[in-house]
Amino acid sequence: MAVIIPPVAASYKTPSPPSTSRLSAPHPSGHRTLLPVGPAYVNHLRLSLHHQHSFSALDKHLEAEAQRLASLNANANTEVDDLGVGSEEEDDSILTLDPKEWKKHDYYKVLGLSHFRHNATQEQIKFAHRKKVLKHHPDKKASSTAPTSTSAFLTGVNLNTNDDAFFKCISKAHEVLSNPEKRRQFDSVDPHFMDLEEDMPTAAETKSKNFEFFKTFTHVFDLYSRFSKVQPVPGLGHIDSTKEEVEGFYDFWYNFDSWRSFEWMDKEVNEGSDSRDDKRYTEKKNKTERARRKKEDIAKVRGLVDLALSVDPRIKRIKQQEKEAREAKKRGVPGKAGPSKTKQEEEQEKKRLEEEAAQKEAAEQAARADAKKAKAAAANAAKKARRQARAAEGS
Amino acid sequence: MSQTPQTKGTSTPVEFNSFAPVVGINFGNSYASIAVHAKEGQAECIANEDGERQIACAISFSGEEMYIGNQAKAQLVKNAKNTIINFRDLLGKKFSEIPQPTTPAASAPVIQHPDLPDTAAYKVEILQPAPSPLPAPSNPTSKVGTPAMNTPRSEPVRTTRILTPSEVASIFLRSLLTSAEDFLGKKVEGAVITVPAWWSAEQRAALETAAKDAGIPVIQLLEEAAAAASTATSASWVGDDAASPLLPDRTQLIVDVGSTSTSLSLLSIREGLSYVLASSYHPDLGANQIDDKLIKHFATDFTKKTKVPLTVAPAPADSVQDQRAEARLRLAIEHTKRTISASPGAATCSVESLKDGFDYTGSINRMRFDMVASPVYVSIADHIVSLLSSAGVDSHEVDEIVYVGGTGSLPGLDEKVGSAGGFDEDRVQTPFARGTVVGGGVGDPTTILARGAAAQAALITALSSNSEEDKELKEAITHAEGDVNKVKATSRTLGLLFPNSTEEHAELGGVFVPVVQKETALPARRILQLEVGLTQDSKRVAFEVWEVKEGIRVEKVKVEAEPLSDGEDEEQEDEFEEVKHKIISKEILLGALEFEAKLGLQVKGKSELAGTWSTTVQVQFIVGIEGELDVEAKEIGGSAEEGVQPAVVRLHVPAPSA
Repeated sequence: MAVIIPPVAASYKTPSPPSTSRLSAPHPSGHRTLLPVGPAYVNHLRLSLHHQHSFSALDKHLEAEAQRLASLNANANTEVDDLGVGSEEEDDSILTLDPKEWKKHDYYKVLGLSHFRHNATQEQIKFAHRKKVLKHHPDKKASSTAPTSTSAFLTGVNLNTNDDAFFKCISKAHEVLSNPEKRRQFDSVDPHFMDLEEDMPTAAETKSKNFEFFKTFTHVFDLYSRFSKVQPVPGLGHIDSTKEEVEGFYDFWYNFDSWRSFEWMDKEVNEGSDSRDDKRYTEKKNKTERARRKKEDIAKVRGLVDLALSVDPRIKRIKQQEKEAREAKKRGVPGKAGPSKTKQEEEQEKKRLEEEAAQKEAAEQAARADAKKAKAAAANAAKKARRQARAAEGS
Repeated sequence: MSQTPQTKGTSTPVEFNSFAPVVGINFGNSYASIAVHAKEGQAECIANEDGERQIACAISFSGEEMYIGNQAKAQLVKNAKNTIINFRDLLGKKFSEIPQPTTPAASAPVIQHPDLPDTAAYKVEILQPAPSPLPAPSNPTSKVGTPAMNTPRSEPVRTTRILTPSEVASIFLRSLLTSAEDFLGKKVEGAVITVPAWWSAEQRAALETAAKDAGIPVIQLLEEAAAAASTATSASWVGDDAASPLLPDRTQLIVDVGSTSTSLSLLSIREGLSYVLASSYHPDLGANQIDDKLIKHFATDFTKKTKVPLTVAPAPADSVQDQRAEARLRLAIEHTKRTISASPGAATCSVESLKDGFDYTGSINRMRFDMVASPVYVSIADHIVSLLSSAGVDSHEVDEIVYVGGTGSLPGLDEKVGSAGGFDEDRVQTPFARGTVVGGGVGDPTTILARGAAAQAALITALSSNSEEDKELKEAITHAEGDVNKVKATSRTLGLLFPNSTEEHAELGGVFVPVVQKETALPARRILQLEVGLTQDSKRVAFEVWEVKEGIRVEKVKVEAEPLSDGEDEEQEDEFEEVKHKIISKEILLGALEFEAKLGLQVKGKSELAGTWSTTVQVQFIVGIEGELDVEAKEIGGSAEEGVQPAVVRLHVPAPSA
């Protein structure tokens, strides 16, 4: 409060009022008639009808009432489902984005969905967009942030012509994310992903002592699994995964079928130029560039899989097991060789097979000989027949 | 030195049901308006299907058609005898009680009901649609095989219809209800309708019956002054911040200028609780008189421009042309008046084919308009002065003027009332001064009553929860004829005097802070916080509780004299000028309290107050129902030191033995 009551003078002596002093008598009841309007009147009625004119009783009642209403409101609030969108903080770097640089924006961040990113559903995108629009619509901003002008001619005119910049960014973000094709293109080059992609494990890292294979590569493959056309993607698994699981995993990743594409990074075709050649040239370049990036991407994934395979402790384990199995077989440990046969049996089998083959050969030879004979006989018979026919003609 | 103590009232805002489909209806004699309780917890005046927020109380029958509202008013020109206006004031009145008009009526005349004894009625000519012909015979083809032709509907029958004022009101109210339900998209669950304060119980009952017939679930019939107070005490009116010029305790003058009558009410508003200190009703004074003067002005102008003689207000009984011209002018000047109210420039009045085929277009600027209307303004101001003097309230004690009704939007009226009423121009608050009149602001005089009624409807509906207490409260509010509203009120102002011996405060011996104003309904509680200065050495806080008498000291000062320090005087051409001062004289010392401040704070920084000590003291006054007084002064959080018990002192003054 601006006004401060001046301090009491030191010389001031408290007067002692006469003990008989009373307020002057109030106007008697019925002197005035209240107008029955307004919340204050309701409180007055409560006071006189229910609380024996005691303010403390009324206060208690009102407090209880307020709590009841508050709990009602709280219940009402939880019923509104925001689909988990929540409210993300908007820092200055987001609010001051330049809508002209729209290709460089992080749309998930603009819509406050950076905790979902590519996992955000269309409903969540719609909800988040609506929420942002309500908050940042230029109509709302004009009144709150309009700079004031000292010029009398401009009073009431909104001078801040750029205050819809962020709104434009929101619109663009929604436009991209709500279109599946555009969203796919954007997700392919999602700036957040690109950042993460920067620090992929290298061969050198994997050699270091405190390198944790599963921790690192689970993360890596999880990141890339978003691009798979086939879902769900098999996980890297754990140290005790079976041979089939491990092989299935590497099989999948060697045949990885990705939808990732790089149209987003195309150079803009210069719209202004009429030259068809120019356009075609740019388009062609874009196309080769896309293909190049795609190829790079495939190579990168392949490289990662190779790397993983090369350092996968399970592969070593499996190889070891196979080797052990072979050695055990060689040593002929019974029971362990299971279905495999002894060397003797094998040789017998071989012999039997050879014999069978020989027999077969012999039979075939015989058959061939028979066929030759039959052919020759048939030819002789034909000759004979012709000769007889000629003789008959000649006679 | 002005004190603005931050008072915390007993009025915790009551939560409303967010979307209660309730309406407030201002049912005037000439115009009606509807308000609904809108989303933001505020009442809002709505427009009917024709886009009119001010709906003329008129019904017109023309052939088979029935017109209601402003369309019906247009029928006054050519179909006056079938157009019913001014029916509200006939509700609940016997025919013999209605004064017979001296001049021929410009609308359907009031007649004695042909069947019912001593009942007023209107007789209108209508075309009744002929009964639909008998349905075609069951065998729809004739013998030849061609389909039989349906019998054509016969011509509508010319007939007369007798309508009682109650029936007319019922038809009109139903149209209002339909408009409201169209707007809300829901069925209206409750309505509060305004009535004039001077209405008798019969008139109220008649209105309630008419409303019931119209299907309106009436919650309460609310006095117009109360409806105005309901709006004028709402948060949207006062404003949220503490800097609002409207104090929670104020004396308010309501100036309600209707078409046919004017009523004035002087209210005492004490933290939302309001009651009437004095009121007066002037049935002969209203906007119709301004209209008469205005159309005379335009008629003279018309004659001057076209050389066609035109006599209006009143038009000669034998000249239908003049009567029609008058009706046309009356319709046209509605627009003129609205333009004058809304913009500072000149307003036009144009009527096509006013008389003898001559069109009329004239304009009037605000100054000329005020000159024309000045006699009416002056008589309103005179009535205000006499009301104030009868109530024993000085014009300088009025803190706020509220205008109600379309005429209240005229800036000239405000100027005239302000100057002729002798109000303290620096202090008195009007909607014009705050700029809330135009553009449908909170101070818009045309919608105040309807909005107040809607807020009241919402307030009562919010009570209808299941608790017993609320039911009883609702009963008490809606049938408030009982004794609950008869209250005791303080007769003198109570306050705190902080002793100080400086020159500035020599008159009273200290700084006086009023706490409980006079005319405050009992029981009353006031809580205020004050910054009290301390000295370096002593942390003593001391004050006295006084009952004081307020008065106005009138000084006659010569113009040549030096202007007084408080600057309340203005230079005028009179040789002597009356300067009014508010004065306070100490009457009864009720007690004195002092304590040592424990939570004092030293002001830091570089302001001129730096180095001084102060503390925050919260003082609570409770004046009980019998007039006993309890004062509690408590030191509150100056510094955040833990473990320091703040000083609390109490004072009890027993009730006067009356």
